[in-house]
Amino acid sequence: MKFNLAAFRPALTGFLVVVALALTGAAVRPFEEPAWQFVKSKQPALKLDSLQGALGQGVTVGLLGGFRAIVADFFWIKTNAVWEDNDLPKTQTFIKLVTAIDPRPLYFWQNGSRMIAYDMPNWRITEEGGYDVVPQARQRKIDEQQSAVALNYLNEAFGHHPDAPLLHVEIANVYLNRLKDTASAAEAYRRAALQPDAPYYAGRIYAELLRRLGRNAEAYAWLKQLYRTLPKEADAAKGITPFQVEAAMAPVVLERIRELEGELNILELQAFRP
Amino acid sequence: MNTAFPFPLSGRSVPFSLGRLGIVAGNTFLEAVRQKLFNFLLLLAVALVASAQLFREFNFGSSELKFISDFGFGAMVFFGSTLTIAATAQLFFSEIENRTALTILAKPIWRTEFIFGKFLGVFAVVGVFCALTTILLLGLLYHRETALMTANPEAFEAGRIIHYGDLVLMGVLQWLKFGVLAAFTLLIASFSNTNLYTVVMGFFVLVICHLQYLARDAYGSVASLPLRLLVQLLGYIFPNFQVFNLADQIGIGVGIDAAVFLRVAGYALIYIAVIGALAVYSFRNREI
Repeated sequence: MKFNLAAFRPALTGFLVVVALALTGAAVRPFEEPAWQFVKSKQPALKLDSLQGALGQGVTVGLLGGFRAIVADFFWIKTNAVWEDNDLPKTQTFIKLVTAIDPRPLYFWQNGSRMIAYDMPNWRITEEGGYDVVPQARQRKIDEQQSAVALNYLNEAFGHHPDAPLLHVEIANVYLNRLKDTASAAEAYRRAALQPDAPYYAGRIYAELLRRLGRNAEAYAWLKQLYRTLPKEADAAKGITPFQVEAAMAPVVLERIRELEGELNILELQAFRP
Repeated sequence: MNTAFPFPLSGRSVPFSLGRLGIVAGNTFLEAVRQKLFNFLLLLAVALVASAQLFREFNFGSSELKFISDFGFGAMVFFGSTLTIAATAQLFFSEIENRTALTILAKPIWRTEFIFGKFLGVFAVVGVFCALTTILLLGLLYHRETALMTANPEAFEAGRIIHYGDLVLMGVLQWLKFGVLAAFTLLIASFSNTNLYTVVMGFFVLVICHLQYLARDAYGSVASLPLRLLVQLLGYIFPNFQVFNLADQIGIGVGIDAAVFLRVAGYALIYIAVIGALAVYSFRNREI
């Protein structure tokens, strides 16, 4: 039988094209790698699970095409739509999908965690018969379960926003308002206050929680330290705006220092001198 | 001697000519601009970019300028990709289906000139598309940023947030990415029999190139050796389109690194040259 080379030509051409592309890919990899590492360091990559979640919603092309922020916004609207229906599984799925698609905005993490920690326990208790029917122990259990989910979710956010004080504040609020765990809340507020660009109220609330825990000496030491760092008057040269001065509330902090001096019986000679 | 058969003569009897390549490119460009598809997609993209301001009410996560920038580039990438794939396939197959390819290639013209002429024609069309959408986005962002500066001067104490030069660089990078996509589509068209197959495969390539990084990331975690090699091979065969995604820096007051820009631009040009050459090689083996 005569061997017909022409019959294999398309396959051979295809094979050569694939080999040439693979060799090119291997050759340009060292050239491309630094640029890719730069791009990766500047923005969170789309994860496979977010794409799989989006695939079912028919927005994959938009997602890949660059409409990432818009697709996340679209899913956030959907999240709110299912949230209005008190649909727990769907709400939780969409909350996670939104931050998987676009983990950059803090807004999604903050509001998603609030839905999980504050709204979902109410839905579950209502579904089990309401606050009058469900025993206190069971209510507490539900609160703990939902808070754990919310805290895990917020801790995941640190992977994208390691220095975000507002995430610590959110964690503190879950401990304080849902779990009634003042000590853990105080610790989270302390961490928030230590972050760069932390809101001024985080330090003040930390001190108040220490007072509530009866740790007045610690609160006093903290407030004295805090007071020194607060802006007292606007200074354009230093970039201190009147709004910052107002938000820092230095007079209020000083007033609390004086209260604590009274409670701790600190002598006038040893009192804090601003 | 077989002098009646035109194909062996084409591209062999005359030296390679940039002039002829330019004529093919010019005709391709004119043909593309006359098509309804180009005008339709351009109009849609322009309308979408222009309407970014109206959609800003739906923005929850990021700043308004970032949202407009994302929206504008999203429109450019989405419609630009569609235009690139559809126009390349249509302009190539119109020559095959109308039999004009036979007439052209019967003349002393290289298949290289034909393929690269087609590529440059499409590349020019996509360039016009990118230029128009970029200019529109520039205008829109400038207008909105000026309004925000007037309304809220404290937020702009350090000056403007948007780096307008970087917007232009991003437009150029998107254009180069579409160039790689056009070259890939031409490569598919060079062996494909139908326009539809080329368009569908073109979109598959677009999705795969955008997801290529997943194969690269997964490479280390695959236990099975054959599967691992396959994943690695896939990571090498397809270019990484995510590397062109530098637009994230624009709406947040961070500039694009010039070295990174040059690297990505070089990466695209290398791929355009290689894939273009492969399209020529494949087309030379094709019976028309």
